[in-house]
Amino acid sequence: MSETRKTIRQALAIGALSVLVGASVHFSLVRRFVQGDFRDTFLSQEEYPGIRLITTREAEDLWAAGEAVVFDARPERPFREGHVPGARSLPAVESGGKLPAGVWELARGKTLVVYCEGGDCQSSLALAKRLHDEGFRDIRVMTGGWEEWKKAGLPEEKGDGQE
Amino acid sequence: MVRNKTLLVLFRLVLGGLFVYAGIVKVLDPLDFAQNIRNYRLVGQSLSFLAAIILPWLEILAGLALAAGVWTRASALVISALLGFFIVLTLVTIVRGLDVDCGCFGALSRKSGFGVILEDLGMLYMGLCLLFAHERRD
Repeated sequence: MSETRKTIRQALAIGALSVLVGASVHFSLVRRFVQGDFRDTFLSQEEYPGIRLITTREAEDLWAAGEAVVFDARPERPFREGHVPGARSLPAVESGGKLPAGVWELARGKTLVVYCEGGDCQSSLALAKRLHDEGFRDIRVMTGGWEEWKKAGLPEEKGDGQE
Repeated sequence: MVRNKTLLVLFRLVLGGLFVYAGIVKVLDPLDFAQNIRNYRLVGQSLSFLAAIILPWLEILAGLALAAGVWTRASALVISALLGFFIVLTLVTIVRGLDVDCGCFGALSRKSGFGVILEDLGMLYMGLCLLFAHERRD
């Protein structure tokens, strides 16, 4: 009986330690959360049914098959230094205004892939929401971003790319 | 239940290792994992975030303890409880007809379904063997 109690106490200690380590390691994220961040940046499937998060490999498959239009949400400079071949630059900061004509002309059911730097970058999510608001209904966010694409040794293109 | 000592050590290393791996891939991208949790449509934004911060470390610490043979029974209990929860969660997801990524092994994750439940059941068997084998020994 006391052995069972000891086991439960140790299990609870593992739980408590997990809370401490998690909060410490992700301190900056937790602080942002406390300050009100992430209350709406996760994509709620009810609000944005047309947005899905995908892995770099899934994005690569879509890109290789030529099935999707790829958008780079990073600022223009890093875009010029290297981007997914064929991707169009659409910096999230500039997406507050009207979308470029090339985007407007796309069929709303067209598959779109968006990405940003990688890590916990949020601009691809912001762009995905913006495109969703414009009526697009098949938007895939490549969560690993440019960082993972490059790390995977996938093809890259330099310059201004397609406007 | 398995009583063979060598096999139990193997169970500890395999199960502990799998949990450490599963935890690490989630720790590397907590926001992605938070979104995975959110996609199950069971808990809200804040709870998804908190679970994404804590759960991976629970997997890593319990996995490390199990693999190292420290607090073996307690870590087997934590891992078995987590697996029981994952199995129920996956069943509920199938019944609700949701098409979600299981979010279990990072890039190796796949659609939540019966395959995932079978894997979890296999791991749960190992966890329970360890939990009860150590109870007997104590």
